[in-house]
Amino acid sequence: MVWQRSLSYALRRLAQAVPTVLVIVALNFLLLQLAPGDAADVLAGEAGSATPEFMAQLRQTFGLDQPLAMQLLLYVKNIVVFDLGFSFRHNMPVAQLIGSRLFPTLLLMVTVLLVAVIVGTLLGAFAARNLNRWQDNLISMLTVLAYATPVFWAGLMLIVVFSIKLGWFPTSGMQQVAAFHEGFAKVRDIAHHLVLPSVTLTMFYMALYARLMRASVLEQFSMDYVVTARAKGLTERQIARRHVLRNAVLPVLTMAGVQVGALLGGAVVVETVFAWPGLGLLAYESLFARDLNLLLGIFFVCTCLVVVVNLVVDVAYSLLDPRIELR
Amino acid sequence: MNALQCLHRGLAIAATALVMTVSLPALAQGNPQKGGTLVIVVQPEPPTLASYQSTAGPVGQVATKVYEGLLEYDFQLKPAPSLAQSWTVSPDGKTVTFKLVPNVKFHDGKPFTSADVQFSVMEVLKKVHPRGVNTFRAVTAVDTPDPMTAVFRLSEPAPYMMMALSSYESPMLPKHVFGSGEIARHPNANQPVGTGPYKFVEWQKGQFMRFDRNPDYRKPGLPHLDRIVARFIADSGTRSAAMETQEVHMGGFNAIPPVDVRRLEKLPHIDVTNKGYEMQSPIVQLDFNTTKPPFDDPKVRQAVAYAMDRKFVLDNIWFGFGRPATGPISSNFKANGLYTTADVRNYNVPNGVDLANKLLDDAGKKRGPDGVRFEIVHDVTPYGEEWRRFGEYTQQQLAKVGIKATLRVEDVPGWLRRVYTNYDFQLTSNWIQTLADPSIGVHRLYHSGSIKAGTVFVNNSRWTTKETDELMDKANVELDPKKRAALYHELQRRVVEASPLVFLHELDFVTVYNKRVNGFPLSPLGLYSSMDQVWMAK
Repeated sequence: MVWQRSLSYALRRLAQAVPTVLVIVALNFLLLQLAPGDAADVLAGEAGSATPEFMAQLRQTFGLDQPLAMQLLLYVKNIVVFDLGFSFRHNMPVAQLIGSRLFPTLLLMVTVLLVAVIVGTLLGAFAARNLNRWQDNLISMLTVLAYATPVFWAGLMLIVVFSIKLGWFPTSGMQQVAAFHEGFAKVRDIAHHLVLPSVTLTMFYMALYARLMRASVLEQFSMDYVVTARAKGLTERQIARRHVLRNAVLPVLTMAGVQVGALLGGAVVVETVFAWPGLGLLAYESLFARDLNLLLGIFFVCTCLVVVVNLVVDVAYSLLDPRIELR
Repeated sequence: MNALQCLHRGLAIAATALVMTVSLPALAQGNPQKGGTLVIVVQPEPPTLASYQSTAGPVGQVATKVYEGLLEYDFQLKPAPSLAQSWTVSPDGKTVTFKLVPNVKFHDGKPFTSADVQFSVMEVLKKVHPRGVNTFRAVTAVDTPDPMTAVFRLSEPAPYMMMALSSYESPMLPKHVFGSGEIARHPNANQPVGTGPYKFVEWQKGQFMRFDRNPDYRKPGLPHLDRIVARFIADSGTRSAAMETQEVHMGGFNAIPPVDVRRLEKLPHIDVTNKGYEMQSPIVQLDFNTTKPPFDDPKVRQAVAYAMDRKFVLDNIWFGFGRPATGPISSNFKANGLYTTADVRNYNVPNGVDLANKLLDDAGKKRGPDGVRFEIVHDVTPYGEEWRRFGEYTQQQLAKVGIKATLRVEDVPGWLRRVYTNYDFQLTSNWIQTLADPSIGVHRLYHSGSIKAGTVFVNNSRWTTKETDELMDKANVELDPKKRAALYHELQRRVVEASPLVFLHELDFVTVYNKRVNGFPLSPLGLYSSMDQVWMAK
């Protein structure tokens, strides 16, 4: 019964999201037109030279000679059937390009989110249970430090210490290119390369969730239901586990859901520093190349991801807290 | 210094000399070792592998391992055989006959013949290559009397064309692959099939490209390497770190920024070279908009040229990688006599600021009560951190002569649009590759025919004269090297005198490489060469 309700709720939410996504697509398209210069300028700029005939030919191939409204109409028409178009810069369909970069991004994102949420909530709860003792002070200090450290600097410092000085981890990339491992060795190789970028990014988010969780747990402990629980003779440990944690984790979850979008974009720094072949880096590059088809495609995929993740978070609420109804 | 010390020192020098004579040949020649993987860091990631329609720098670094050209070039900038084993130019310069190397096979096993040359030049390079359109403009037909002979028919002599037949500039494509389908978006664009020493294997976007040894390469015993991998790392700090940890073995075209080069070159396993860029010859310059005041006045332009301290800029912003520039043609062309400084106005003088002030006074640009003669906006070319520093330096230096400059920084497409389409600028920093021949790389900046709104890296200062146009038109078709050099000497005098741009310095790119890498660079094409003779010490 619960599952059936969840499913119909999810479908309804998805249907509602369609117009939102389309409006976002159109807005993105129009906003990007404001940037001066176009893809032909950039391609010719990189080439170091070009003739006017060549530039005109490029613009014609790219469809840039069409009126703006026509371009928008065409784009939206294609998006509706999930045709993301063609990147002339990469000479590849946009969907294929994004597909090849989606896995590294998701791998990094899921790792970071899982570790950050799990470790962050545990640390926060632990700090709250040891309020104002040395454990709490230590955790608070470390989280402030981790939160205040710029991500790119942390990344470079990790490279200096763990790659250059100690030689434990590779500086960058997703696999060792001189070796080209296969099978299990490849999985191990990728995991090895994943450590530094995910640690860099996790530190920041973990600190955030730890502080949020600490405050949330403290607040919950002052609630009436905790007094009731004490009165009926539960131990502090039982109260914390059965009652407080479940309530306290909700704000963290909300935050994590909101941050998925930011994480997709915010990973660009880490992806740049560690040469991690993700979507953030692709978006960044395509902006400067005015590869609008590709950029719009990435925005579209990110929009869809955010919609889906927020749906998952809402469903997770109802599982954690049965009082919240899905309607 | 007493006699004993002298003797000691003498011995020491003799000993050093002995060690050097013993070790040098071992280093320079050694016995090439087979095998190994060379990892090159290429920055930025190339947009495509279609070197026949994109001349973007990074494309050249990778595509030249797969495709070959008709010719190569030596350090004297003289043509050398590649896919063409010999060539003859008719006395009137209108017929060029190439004899091709027999039994050359493409990576798919099909033979390379004159039909491929004809197809590559007439159907591809002449039509979709950004520079080929210009390089091959005089070519009316390519005849193929037999499979091993290609005859270029020209409407007028084109001495510059012979400088543009390298694999980087004019790759030879297989007709049987690219002959069908639309060339501009051909499915094989990123699945290149060439005749080169390495075969394309895969391209993981955002990560690397892999090229494996071509066992059927036309030169027996080559290439030495098993594999070349090009890696893409967007962050310059990480690129340097990867060089340090030996994850990558080579990086050129300032992939390792000058500030890190000075640090890395002290490491025991790393060496640097500025050789292998002689056919690029980039020049750092300031472009004026000569159509509008204040820079329509040659005196004002000369004043700015005098005001810049070239040595300071080189030493402090580019860490000494380069030489002061004297005019539109790079000193790399000393090798074939085109370069001169004789009777060319020299702006690189110690009392430049004084001369500049005097010129500005003469031009009637008097200082106001606040010491300012006039105000301008100075655009900074958006190609990296050093250009910002250069912009700040220019701003300070102009202030010394009473010109108040405000800096404007945009991204690449915005800047290109402003400077080459809208001409909405007064003074902008810039750098131009003057390439393998002035006809290809230099004319475009000064010829009246190259004032083309919307086309980038052409004549944006929009300064022209009838005389300089004629000099360039004559040089285009002049076959006698001496007469051609004389034309260019005159061009240098006239352009430098009018100062439509300020020539700052000839920029040296630096290749940073691991000392295990040998046999590089063997030609002025450097990273744009096929690297078939590069080998890695174990």
